[in-house]
Amino acid sequence: MHEQAFRFGAARHLVGVVGLPPVIEHGVGMILLNAGMVYRVGPFRLHVELARRLNSLGYPTLRFDQSTIGDSGASGQRLSRPEQVLADVRDAMELLKQQSGCTRFVLFGLCSGAQNAHSTAYVDQRVAGAFFLDGYGHRTLGQRVRHYLPRLLSLSVWRQRFARRRTPVAARPAEPAFEVEPLPPKIVRAQLAEMLHRGLKLDFIYSGGVARYFNHVRQFRECFGRLADHPCVSVSYFKEADHTYVLSGDRQRLLDHVAQWMGHHFPITRTGSSA
Amino acid sequence: MKARIEAELPFYFGPGKELFGFYHPAAAVTGTAVLLCPPFGVEQIRCHRLYRQLAHSLAESGLPVLRFDYFGTGDSAGDSHAFEWPRCLADVATAAAELRLRHGGGRLLAFGARLGANAALAAAQTARLDGVVAWDAITDGAALVRQYDSMEASLKVDLNRFEVARPDLDVSTQWPGFETSERLRSQLLELRLLDPGIASAWLTSSSPDEASRLGEPYASRQVGVDVAPRWDDVNGLELAILSHPLLEAARRHLKEMA
Repeated sequence: MHEQAFRFGAARHLVGVVGLPPVIEHGVGMILLNAGMVYRVGPFRLHVELARRLNSLGYPTLRFDQSTIGDSGASGQRLSRPEQVLADVRDAMELLKQQSGCTRFVLFGLCSGAQNAHSTAYVDQRVAGAFFLDGYGHRTLGQRVRHYLPRLLSLSVWRQRFARRRTPVAARPAEPAFEVEPLPPKIVRAQLAEMLHRGLKLDFIYSGGVARYFNHVRQFRECFGRLADHPCVSVSYFKEADHTYVLSGDRQRLLDHVAQWMGHHFPITRTGSSA
Repeated sequence: MKARIEAELPFYFGPGKELFGFYHPAAAVTGTAVLLCPPFGVEQIRCHRLYRQLAHSLAESGLPVLRFDYFGTGDSAGDSHAFEWPRCLADVATAAAELRLRHGGGRLLAFGARLGANAALAAAQTARLDGVVAWDAITDGAALVRQYDSMEASLKVDLNRFEVARPDLDVSTQWPGFETSERLRSQLLELRLLDPGIASAWLTSSSPDEASRLGEPYASRQVGVDVAPRWDDVNGLELAILSHPLLEAARRHLKEMA
């Protein structure tokens, strides 16, 4: 493993860690975006573990903090947040290109990171693929049936409900949470179609932690119709996992999945290089 | 301000360049520098922003600062289950030497939260520290182990987090968020608070958990701070700890020691 820390960006306001494989070839590198406000190591160090796994397989990586998150400062530019995100990811691509020579990039984003990966992938031609974890999706009739029907038929749920009525349970206090601002489904679908038209490979991963809006792999088709059939789209539902992959076994399964997907879509042709 | 932030440097250091560090330079005012020792596991991630803010605040007031990650944590090399107490203490000494090298010698103080405080106190002699400000230092290692076990037990059946409760097998070798080892468990079970025999200040949160409740002789010297980090709350694993009163208290005590 070879990792190096950088301060970079137009205003030298960004901080990140580049990880390089033993042999570097011009190919595809992965950029890991912040998951909500969690700094670049990711929830429970997910991004560190993923970056190192990919480095060992031959892919260069950059995990970094976007403007005003983690160790990164403000750029001082008058940009809207979406514009700033795009500028930051472009700075990140430039750094990884300088350090590894790769000219195409796969973005990895969880929750708000998925949203940022989506918006960047839509406009930047250098993005060759993306992982969207608990990203866009919306409730459907099928989701509601799958969610409510088992509860209606479950004796234990009814028992709990009656018990709660007798002994009121304090509601869990509202906490700041990772939330993805919903973009109208029609726009999301059109933008995804455009990305696929450009040849991007897209992997949608949903966890059981967002069952409130996505609860079955089939729901992707309910949300995005024929896009589900596109050969460059893959969809997974990690039902057991929570939103931030707090259990190490769940993280390992996620890492295995990402490594396998990368190997399929951006295969390493020899040690340290990807096609 | 902008120029100062630009001068802050992330880098790797130590033997094999295994440790990640972040140096915050400052115009030499007192000849004293501060080492920030992070807590462990999920607490390290929750405190990241707070440590950064403290580093900025101290550097602005003329104290150079080094933040760093122990082996097996944060951006440093090593898997999470490789974190061990003896290595952690060695890393404090390595980081202290690095800070001395960068700021040119002089007095060295340390700040640490939770196990970070214990690490600074336990390594004070080898790291040649001149003073330590501790926040919710662990006074009872066995209580901390019980707390982590209890949090993990609550976590696996937390239906706000999981669709279905997880079996024991999925959580058996873990504390919230991270793999652990039998070695670390044994090391923490033995952990007691050590009086460093140097200048020290003892900051305590408004409602300390069992693991960090200060007894004599420290209780009379403790300084209460209006902050509720909820160290033992499994619902707070993803919540960053931000506290102006804590920053102020830590800065004030470090400045007084400088």
